[in-house]
Formats: sequence, C-alpha cells, structure tokens
Amino acid sequence: MLQIDHISKSFPAGRGRRTMVLDDIVLNVDEGQSVGLVGESGSGKSTIIRCALGLTRPDSGRVSYSGIDVQRSSRFDTLRFRRDVQLVFQDPYASLNPRMTVEELVGEGLLVHKLETTAAGRRARVVEMLAMVGLGEEALARYPRSFSGGQRQRIAIARAVVIRPKLLICDEPVSALDVSVQAQVINLLQDMQKQLSLGILFVAHDLAVVRHLCTTVAVLERGRIVEHGTREQVFDTPQHAYTRALLKAVPIPDPVVGRARRAERQAAP
Amino acid sequence: MTLVLPTAAPRRKANFTAYELTVFGVVAALFLLALIGPMIAPADIYTSNMLETLFPPSAEHWLGTDDQGRDIFWRLVAGSRLSLFATVLVVILYSIIGMIVATLATVGPRWVDELLMRITDIGLSLPGLVVSLGIATVLGPSLQSGIIALALTGWPMTARILRTTMRRTMEQPFVEGARILGVSRTRLMLKHVLPNSLDVLIVKWAGDISFTMLILAGLSFIGVGAQPPSPEWGAMISGARGYMSIAWWAVAAPGAAIVINAVAFALLADILQVRRDPSLQA
Amino acid sequence: MGVDTILTDGIVPAQLRQRPEALLQVDQLSIDIATRDANVRLVDNVSFGIGRGERVALVGESGSGKSVTAQALMRLNSRVKLSGRVQFDGKDLLSLSNSQMAAMRGQRMGMVFQDPMSSLDPLMTIGDQVAETLRIRGVSKREARQRALDVLDELKVERAAERLDSFPHEFSGGMRQRVVLAMALVGEPDLLIADEPTTALDVRVQERVLDLLDEISRRRSLAVLLITHDLGIVAGFADRVMVMYSGRIVEENEATLLFAEPQHPYTRGLLEAVPRADITVDRLRSIAGAPPAPGARPSGCTFHPRCDHAMAMCSSVEPGETITPLGARVRCHLYGAG
Repeated sequence: MLQIDHISKSFPAGRGRRTMVLDDIVLNVDEGQSVGLVGESGSGKSTIIRCALGLTRPDSGRVSYSGIDVQRSSRFDTLRFRRDVQLVFQDPYASLNPRMTVEELVGEGLLVHKLETTAAGRRARVVEMLAMVGLGEEALARYPRSFSGGQRQRIAIARAVVIRPKLLICDEPVSALDVSVQAQVINLLQDMQKQLSLGILFVAHDLAVVRHLCTTVAVLERGRIVEHGTREQVFDTPQHAYTRALLKAVPIPDPVVGRARRAERQAAP
Repeated sequence: MTLVLPTAAPRRKANFTAYELTVFGVVAALFLLALIGPMIAPADIYTSNMLETLFPPSAEHWLGTDDQGRDIFWRLVAGSRLSLFATVLVVILYSIIGMIVATLATVGPRWVDELLMRITDIGLSLPGLVVSLGIATVLGPSLQSGIIALALTGWPMTARILRTTMRRTMEQPFVEGARILGVSRTRLMLKHVLPNSLDVLIVKWAGDISFTMLILAGLSFIGVGAQPPSPEWGAMISGARGYMSIAWWAVAAPGAAIVINAVAFALLADILQVRRDPSLQA
Repeated sequence: MGVDTILTDGIVPAQLRQRPEALLQVDQLSIDIATRDANVRLVDNVSFGIGRGERVALVGESGSGKSVTAQALMRLNSRVKLSGRVQFDGKDLLSLSNSQMAAMRGQRMGMVFQDPMSSLDPLMTIGDQVAETLRIRGVSKREARQRALDVLDELKVERAAERLDSFPHEFSGGMRQRVVLAMALVGEPDLLIADEPTTALDVRVQERVLDLLDEISRRRSLAVLLITHDLGIVAGFADRVMVMYSGRIVEENEATLLFAEPQHPYTRGLLEAVPRADITVDRLRSIAGAPPAPGARPSGCTFHPRCDHAMAMCSSVEPGETITPLGARVRCHLYGAG
C-alpha cells in the first residue's frame, strides 16, 4: 500500500556541506499491517514521516501510495491520498485547533472530503466515532482545552479515523501522555487497527510500545535502517549491534532484571 | 467503553481587579456616550446664539460656550459619536486591509510574500501623518477624506505583525494536520490560521484607537479632516484656536475629551497586554 | 501485627528492619499555592525519610506533586506555602534563614533537573560553572578548578581537562546532563535530588547517566532522591520506592517488594499498564480516566474514581496509612480494615 522506495534526503549543514538525514530507506506498509519504526532522537524519524506524507520531497527515491507517486500525483489523486493516509501527532495539545469544537474537529474531514454533506449526517457520524474512541455525545460542543491529554489524543484519533483512512501514521502518539493514560491510547489504536483493518506506521523511540503494537519492526540509526524484520526476529534475535544495544538499555520495570543488567555492564570493560 | 468525563473543567474565571473594572467601565461609558450622545444633545448646538457667545463655564453651560454661543458640553456629547466612531471605523478599515495583505503574503508563493512585504516596508517607512495629510488634501477636506487617508496609511503595521504571527501559526501541528486532512487553502486560512493569529491584534486595537483618535483630531485641527461647524473634537479645537487667548475653555474642553478617550483606550490596551502575557505584570 | 506474621512471611516489615541512619526526615509536609481564585493544596501531608547513602525513588504522574515536593525540600519555590517539618541531618530546613538555606543547597544538598540547558549559563565555561559553588565558598581559583576537573573525571567526561574551557552548546545532551551533575556533586553533598534527570535523553544515554549516578552514590555513600514518572528506570536504580498520586504518597516499599507485590491498586495498575520490551502481551490493562488536577481532587481516596476495587467508603473517607505484612506503607481501605 505505502511504499517507501530507496529514499535519501540531506539538508544543508553550512559551509557548502550537507548532512545526510536519510540514507536509502526502504519501508513498506501493507493493508492492515502494523509496522513499527524505532529510532532515537535525530535518527531521521520525522523526516521519514514528512516524506511519507508528501510534505517533504526526498532527494532521490520515491514514495508511492497504491502505485501512485505522492510527489507527482494529480489533484484528484492527492485528495484521495489525503483521505487515505492520516497522521496522529505526538503532542495532543498542539495538534488540535483550539478554536474549533470537538464536533467541528472530528467532522472536518467528512466536510472537506464531502463524505457527509449535511450537518445532521456529519453529527451522526461524529457521535458514532466519538463513541468508538470512548467519548460521549456531551463532548460535541466543547473545545479541546477542556479535555485532558489522553482525551485529546482520543479526539485526534477520532478526527483522523472518521474518514476511514487506509493508513494511519502515528508519530510518538503516547510519549506526551501520563503513564496511566498511555495504555488507554495504545489499546484504542490496537482496537482501531483490528476493527477497521487499518494499516499503521508507528514511529516511536519507545521499544516497549513498538513491541506491543507492531508485528513488523524497523530500527533506524542515523538515517539508515539497520534492522528490519518481524517483531520476534527483531526483539528476540536481534542481528545488528545497534538493536542489541538499544534493547539492553530499555528500562525494564523489574528490579531483578535491572540489577542483573547493571552487574553485567559493570563486569564488562 | 465510555469514559466518564470529569465535570467540565471550570472555565477560568476572570477575576478582575478594581482598577481593571474601572478602565472597562470608563471605556464602556465612552462607547455608550458615543451611541446615545447625538440623541440626547439639544438641537440648538448647531445654531448660533449670538447673545451667549464665549460664556465661561457656569452652572447653565458647564463647559462654557463658543464664539457662536453654542454650549460646548453638549457639542462634545454630540461630537463623541463622530470622533469615536470615525476612529473605530479607521481602525476596522485598515485592519481589514492588513488582514488581506497578511493572508495573501502567508498563503501566496514566495514572490507574493516578498512583494507585499516590501510594499509594507515602504508604507512603514513613510511618515504616516504627512502622507495622510496629502491624501486628505487631494480628496478634499472632510471627515470622510480623513478616514480614508488614515485607513490607507494605517495598515502596514497590522499587516506586518499579523503576517509574522500567521507564519508562526502555519508551523503549528494543527495546521499541518489540517493540510494532511486535505483541507483547502482558503479553509486553512480562514478556519485554522487566521482565527488563531488574531489574538495579537486585540491588544493592538485598543492602542490603535487611542493613537488614531489623536491623529484624526490632528487632521481636523490642521483643517483637512472634519470641518467646522462639525462638533468633531479636532474640528472644535481648530475652530476655537482663533480666540483661545480670551476663551481657553473652548479649546481645553475638546482637548480634554480627546485625552480622556485616548488614555482610556491606552490603559485598556495595557490591561489586555498583561492579561495575554501575565509575565508583564509589574 | 504480631511477630508470628513476620516469621510466617519470612520477610521483615520495614519498621523492624535495620535502616540506615536518617539523613532527611520529612514529617507531614503539605504544600499549598494561592492562585487567583483559591488556595490549592499541591501536596497533602506527606511523610518519608531518606537514610544516608540510600537511593529512594519518588514516582508519580503529572500533577502528583512529586516535583513540587522536590523543590520544597530545597526551598526553591518561593510562591508556595510549606507546612510540616523537614529535617536534614537534625536541622529543620523550613526554619532556616534564606542565606543558611542557600549554604545548605551548595554544600549539603544538590539538585539536577530534567532540562540540563536550563541549568547552564550559555556564556560561562563548563569549568567555571562547575567550580562556581566552590568559589562562592571561598575555595581558591586553582583548587576549585582542580576539583571541578576531578568531579568531571569521576563522571567520565572524556578529555575533561581540555573541555573545562568549552561552553555548554559544544556538548551533547547526555554530556550536558553530566556537567549539571558535576555542578551538583562538586560540593560533595550528602543528598542529591534528581528530578527527571534522564527523561530528555535517549535510552542508551539514560542508562549511562544512571550507571554513573549509581556508581558515585555507592562510592561516596551519597543519598539520592530520584523523581520520575518512569517505573522502568526506578527498578534498576532505587533501593526503596514511593508512589505518589494526586498529592499523597499512596505506597512505599523496598523496590524489590514493590515491583513483585504491589499493594495499592494504583501501583498495580501502573505496573500492568506499562508495555515491556522483553515480553509480548496481547493487551495492556489500562487504568480508566486521568489523574486529577490538583485543584479538582475527588473526595475520600483521590484514586477512587479510577479504582477497580473502590468500595462505598472510598469516596468519602480518606484512607490512613497501613503497614502490610509485606512491609509496604499503603494508603488504601483494602488494607485498612484488617
């Protein structure tokens, strides 16, 4: 469905030099598949997202959606692409227009893509969608500021999913949330994926969340995918040294494991 | 699973201080006066009464009379609509021009932005008062000319401030999100970018009213704005300056009216500024 | 609770265990802030102790009051009203004068924050910044510089001698956090308060910083109060863990026991809600709702609207402190009755 085909991207770094941000990235997301992309800060995660959404043009290679090049598509194809591929942002405080009500926010996609042309039809779809993300009808007339971070992220997911996209790109969707709320949003994404056979490209620094949500995982190190395989391959038998180092460093909420690891590290030179 | 929403987060109650309430009250009173002033003023303020010329302030004529024997207090009351509404009209007109320029600069291709901003720069570097004087003279001296002249020279600052803010708003994730959702450019601007950029102007508006009122009175005073016998305050000062040495009140009263209005709106601007950014609080 | 319980469980309750000599003792600390509208209680009657050389973690979500508590111990936030007692090495911190407190901060207690850049002066060299607390105390320039160098070496900053004269922007995030640690440690404090010290860092850097902290704490027998939202980093680091929810400490126990046998429904919920990188589970158990804002706390037990085990009394009666047979100090009605 989404094909990221050998894309590279560099940015000017002053004095005529350029920094390579993405180096020959290949990544596919098929229908209903959940793909995780793990990387630390500065690994090029956000540039991949921007390229995948057609917001940034790669220097070489191409990104295509259902066979159509997202950079060179006609107006008609662009509109379809905008309907089929949606994004959930990291920061639920900045990703919702503060001056729109929940009804307007969630209904906007229906309006823009002319999926529901009457206000009553839109409202019915919005209410249905809100119920799916666990919010009641009383939310309709309220503004984002009266919701908690977790609730805002639900609204953001509802806004993205209401137009029934085929692919949902998630950019660190839980990292800004309270620990006790993260699980709610992770479970919601999992439910959405199953119920709507939604493809998910889940981009995060948190290996634990990726392991939980994604069946295919790619590991990004400084603009290069160093490991790519099924969840079990990547987490249980990592091949690349970088993946192993990351996995060893992820904190595990178990003091026995934690102490054993520290002892191991201190024994090593 | 339906989540129980916490009882609606209490909307921040705006607790105003006595000082703030006073300023709001004065501004509201000034608007109210402008609205009803001409209706409550007696009709004889437009006609001469040669028996009562240049009376000093007294119980009968609180602020005295002018050289035509007209009651200055009631002329001020009647003229407040002209002065304040003309000022507000100027600010509205140039804000609209500024918004259009800023929106085009934000949404348009780079060269449009460059072009509009260079024009704005030129507008900013010209002395506004002199240019509006010229425009008003060309259009023929009248209050309308003054309004048009100030509207045509006042917009560059609004355009520049708004364009900077709109550029910043454009970078907000929710704007990016709207683009990803497939929202059209027009809708993007009108629904997402502009409403979230206007905050910055609210403070400016109050200050602008204060400033524009002075300038507009200035134009009338110089003689290219409202013309005597109009009770527009600048025109009143202008008309009275000839006999200022024998009837100071005829100049002082409209002058004071202008100052009171200007100060009230300047204080309002100050309050709004602090409200927007509490760190400015002394 | 009788002695027989102790024997049958084979685990010694916390209050009977050998505890290191108390360094910090906090009794019934409450923190209030006056807002425009009302007086809001940020932290409600919190009591705990930290022994010499002990590593204690204070875990909580946003609005739980964990950072405010840390700042209160250092008396860093002058806008809040503190009540209760905070004793540090026998001295009552809340009754010290501002200058006495400033001296305490430089010499006996150190603190690091999440964002290292905000603690660093961009226009001052690393060496000068690390040495500053010593210079204030009247240590000679040469000696201060030497000691700054020593502590940077101790924190394994490579080529520390050369880098004394560089500026913060020349350092990576992890290195900056080490510099900030060096600033806090150069005065050889007895207690280090670390507020989310690794939250902004990547996992490998985070692990490195925590290892260093672990090493130094053991070598110097430095007590550490680690404030964090991340149960994962706590597990490998802390001897003892306190869980804070909505302004109160709801559970406290030895780290091993707290993770193995969480008692409070909130602690249990948190542990089950966090995905793990080492095992695959089908579905996470989530805690419904969101933590309350400090100004809008539910009555009774503040966790009751989100709690699976809530009983009638939970919404009206605030649970007191109970010590369970496993040694946990818990505030929950499930344990109060027995």
